[in-house]
Amino acid sequence: MPRIYPQEQQPRVIHVPPLDVSAPRSMRRAGKGTALLLAAFLVALVYLVYVLVTRSAFYMAKSGQTGYGKVTDRKGDVLFDGTKPMSEYEAGHFADVGNLIGDTSGQMSNTVVTKNIELLANYSFLYGKNSGTVTLQTTISHKATRACYNALGKKNGTAVAYNWKTGEMLVCMSKPCVDPALGYDNIESMPSGSLLCKAFSPTVPGSTQKVSTLIAAYEQNGVDAVNAMQFSCSGSWVNATGGKINCHNPYGHGTQSLNEAFANSCNPFFAQLVQSSQLPLSAVIETYTQMGYSVNGQKVAPLTMNGLTIPAASTTLTDSTEFETQWGCLGQGKTLVSPYQLMLWQGAIANASGSAVQPYILASHTDIENRVTQLGTTTRTPQLFTRAAAQGVHDVEVDNAKKHYSGSLGAYTCGVKSGTAQIRMDGKEFENSLLTGFCLDEDCPVAFCVVIEERTGADISNAQFAKVLLDALRSEEITKKPAAQTTPAQGN
Amino acid sequence: MSRSNTNPVSHPLLLLLVLFAHTAMLLLVMLSFGLTVEVLKLSCIVLISDFVGAIILQFVAQEACTVDTVLLLVLGMSTIYQSCFGGLAFAMKHFIFGIAAFLMCQISYVLVRNPYRAEKLKPLWYGCFVVLIGAIFFLTGSRGIWIDLGFITIQPSEFLKPVFVLICASSIRTQLKKSEFHGWHFVPDNLLLLFCTAVIAGLQWYSRDLGSLPTFAAAAGCALLLRFSYLREKISVRLMLVLGAGVVFVAVMAWKLAPSYVQDRLHTDIWSDMSGSGYQQVKALTAIAEGGWFGKGAGNGTLVNVAASRTDIVFSTISEEWGLFTAIMTVVLVLFLPAALLTVPPRSYYHSGLALGVAAMFMVQMTLNIFGSCNLIPFTGVTIPFISQGGSSMLSSGIMAGFLKAAQAPVLTGRTAAQLRKGGGA
Amino acid sequence: MDLTALFERYPYLREALTAFAVIFVDFCALIILVAAGRERRRGDRNWAREGRGYMLAMGTTFFPLGAAEILIGRHPAADIRFDDNEISRFHALLTLSNGQWTIEDIGAQNGVLVNGRRITQPRTLRQNDQIQIGKRRLTVVRGTGKDVTA
Repeated sequence: MPRIYPQEQQPRVIHVPPLDVSAPRSMRRAGKGTALLLAAFLVALVYLVYVLVTRSAFYMAKSGQTGYGKVTDRKGDVLFDGTKPMSEYEAGHFADVGNLIGDTSGQMSNTVVTKNIELLANYSFLYGKNSGTVTLQTTISHKATRACYNALGKKNGTAVAYNWKTGEMLVCMSKPCVDPALGYDNIESMPSGSLLCKAFSPTVPGSTQKVSTLIAAYEQNGVDAVNAMQFSCSGSWVNATGGKINCHNPYGHGTQSLNEAFANSCNPFFAQLVQSSQLPLSAVIETYTQMGYSVNGQKVAPLTMNGLTIPAASTTLTDSTEFETQWGCLGQGKTLVSPYQLMLWQGAIANASGSAVQPYILASHTDIENRVTQLGTTTRTPQLFTRAAAQGVHDVEVDNAKKHYSGSLGAYTCGVKSGTAQIRMDGKEFENSLLTGFCLDEDCPVAFCVVIEERTGADISNAQFAKVLLDALRSEEITKKPAAQTTPAQGN
Repeated sequence: MSRSNTNPVSHPLLLLLVLFAHTAMLLLVMLSFGLTVEVLKLSCIVLISDFVGAIILQFVAQEACTVDTVLLLVLGMSTIYQSCFGGLAFAMKHFIFGIAAFLMCQISYVLVRNPYRAEKLKPLWYGCFVVLIGAIFFLTGSRGIWIDLGFITIQPSEFLKPVFVLICASSIRTQLKKSEFHGWHFVPDNLLLLFCTAVIAGLQWYSRDLGSLPTFAAAAGCALLLRFSYLREKISVRLMLVLGAGVVFVAVMAWKLAPSYVQDRLHTDIWSDMSGSGYQQVKALTAIAEGGWFGKGAGNGTLVNVAASRTDIVFSTISEEWGLFTAIMTVVLVLFLPAALLTVPPRSYYHSGLALGVAAMFMVQMTLNIFGSCNLIPFTGVTIPFISQGGSSMLSSGIMAGFLKAAQAPVLTGRTAAQLRKGGGA
Repeated sequence: MDLTALFERYPYLREALTAFAVIFVDFCALIILVAAGRERRRGDRNWAREGRGYMLAMGTTFFPLGAAEILIGRHPAADIRFDDNEISRFHALLTLSNGQWTIEDIGAQNGVLVNGRRITQPRTLRQNDQIQIGKRRLTVVRGTGKDVTA
């Protein structure tokens, strides 16, 4: 830059400044460019270090280069132990949670352990590997899970429940279940479905689907208009295209109001509702889509919970006067919903808002240096259906429970919907018994779904099964936050 | 006249520091391996070569020795690293190429220290460019990047880098020479540069080695930006936006049109293919995680068994044995070479271009190597200058370091500055 | 010499030593960079020698000649810039080579005058040469830090 000296009128003596050889601006461009490149590179380097340090546990866990810690239930009972052979625990200790919690054998992919393996790695970037024990605490109640598992006796089935106020996943039991402590040598002879938590697998929902259909009707016509509707049932009903819808009561229910039909789980009533001009198919599809169904093969992202993936419900609806579509709206045929998603909807009905609290299964993480991080936060799902529809179904379900389940669930203020799924599989026909609902009691705010597979008259009923679940949860004092374990409890 | 006056820019203290730094590292090696013959051999060779280097720099008259000193430091460190990976074995080949790189730095400095002469020699650089392109095209086979001479393999695309930097740089005089074609004014040299860039891109496409394309593209981009800014007060925001949009467009088109083997590389989820195409990166990342901040100790690494552990994923190999902290610091140390230019500005347009070109080449190469092996960007087989093993890479990096030195200590006369001084100046 | 036992007894000894060594290495590098700053002053001195210590004076304004090529003109990117209409955007180029400064007309409309004569080819500059560019008169002086009588 030129040096400017105060201008004098008639300079007689000029001071020649000392030699200045500073490089002109044009020579500084390369320096500026280099500085820019350097700055960008250094920023990227800082980012790299951040990524490496925060993800290093994942790298170690994924490549199997480190030991693993423990997974516990809400009371500290061990559900998975990577620090010693699980066979050292009492026999059958993991037999009811194996397919939910999983292990590091690589046999199961959609489990708490495999999906959160980096949280379980006994490793920290500063202290290296195996210099302590990591504990991952879940919100699961092992006691309640065990109670449900035992209650099924020789039957198979599923029980899934969560606290609809906080989002804590409480029970996620699926029988048959693998026992990780026994290993996988007999994998060929394991009953099918042992390696899969069926709470996350879509199944035929049976009449529990009528909840969804009822929500569609409420959203289209308003709660009062639908509650005033009446249709008659004579044991079976022939629809506009000649399809015959049978009722489970061959003598028919006569003319019923909605509340009665809901309690009776009357197929002709709901088939007529679907066919009626007051409930156009487009409205049903709209409601279903909003609730999370994949209608007619439309792509829907799976639900997720702490990394676990749950395929979205699906159904096929083409023409509301046809048998297949009506049958789908009644929860049979091509309709598939996972018990988890049925439970989630009950959560949105229980709080009468149409938006459920998002379930979570990880409560806290205790790292290698015994620092505890709380992982569970209460968040809400998007609006699944309208508040009015939620309130309407809430009332109908509570009414149903009060009138028809006081014998089995009388100790609880509940709302329920039962279902019977007709399944034809491997050339065999059988019926699954479902019950989905919620409990409103202060000490037991639970939304649940239970499934008893291939149930016959002699087996435990769905309501008795649900009572076992609720009893166990109430005695577990689930309204208390799971206490973080600084010293992980031992298994034996 | 005292000695320091005749040779003002020799820093005995700095060279002593280099000696100390290497001693500190060698002590660590000794702590890992004990006082074995191999350790003594390594220590002696590194320290003696430092000493010899220092003496050479003391007695050879020159104006700048920052680059030389950093080079000595980096080359010694690199020799120590390469000798210790997975167990102690003196990396003789690497060491010899290190010396060669140091000599190359001096030779290329002498060649380009006079910017006028360096630019006057541009036809020669273009000639080298043609020869190298021809060599790549005819000698390396259609799907390889190496020329095998039996006793040694040469990677001509490495030598293309310094030649390309020489082509990239341009003086204001060249930029003022405009030609006209049907009312369209253009600078012939700029067109030639674009043409050369296109040739390289085409050739890289042909030889299926798109890995080093970003390096050349960055050098060309910086050169063009610098050339445009010669005749501008500053780069306007609009121009930057247009250029940025252009770069994004080219990147998107390249992405869309990229051949399937490139697309595969761009899309690989390494964690779902841990034993296949993601193998190297999985191993590299795990090694960094295992090393932690301060490493497992020299020679205790296992990554050395993985292919390219001394070249493409050398950052992870250093991380595993010496720790992430050391690896990052080593990278920063290499950056000191171009960074020295921030304190000593170049004095001519041609040297500005050289310096920026080398800075771009070094930095993009390191970005591709480090971030590629850590799975933040697609993994390509490029080297870290002076740290990775590989003769061609060492030599070409040495040549480019010479350019940096030239930019710091230009000589504008047929005689050297020292001779000018002896003649009493002006 | 068995250090394994020592490391086992003091678990963080090796880490501390590594950290120390590496920090030391980079400390050295930092000193080198600081030395580069000193080198800059040496570079300046060297440049002063190469460039004969010349500067351009215009009245009481002095322009340093800190690069091998100095562009004079009306263009904003020029190193010595005069916003006069008589001066072309790229008017003249000063070049340093072989210890000599030369001035060159690079397509100026009104030409470059040295000591009153219009130059047609590059001309070597000497001390006290008068350069006229448009209305501007520049004198080749030596930076001395002394007073001179005008």
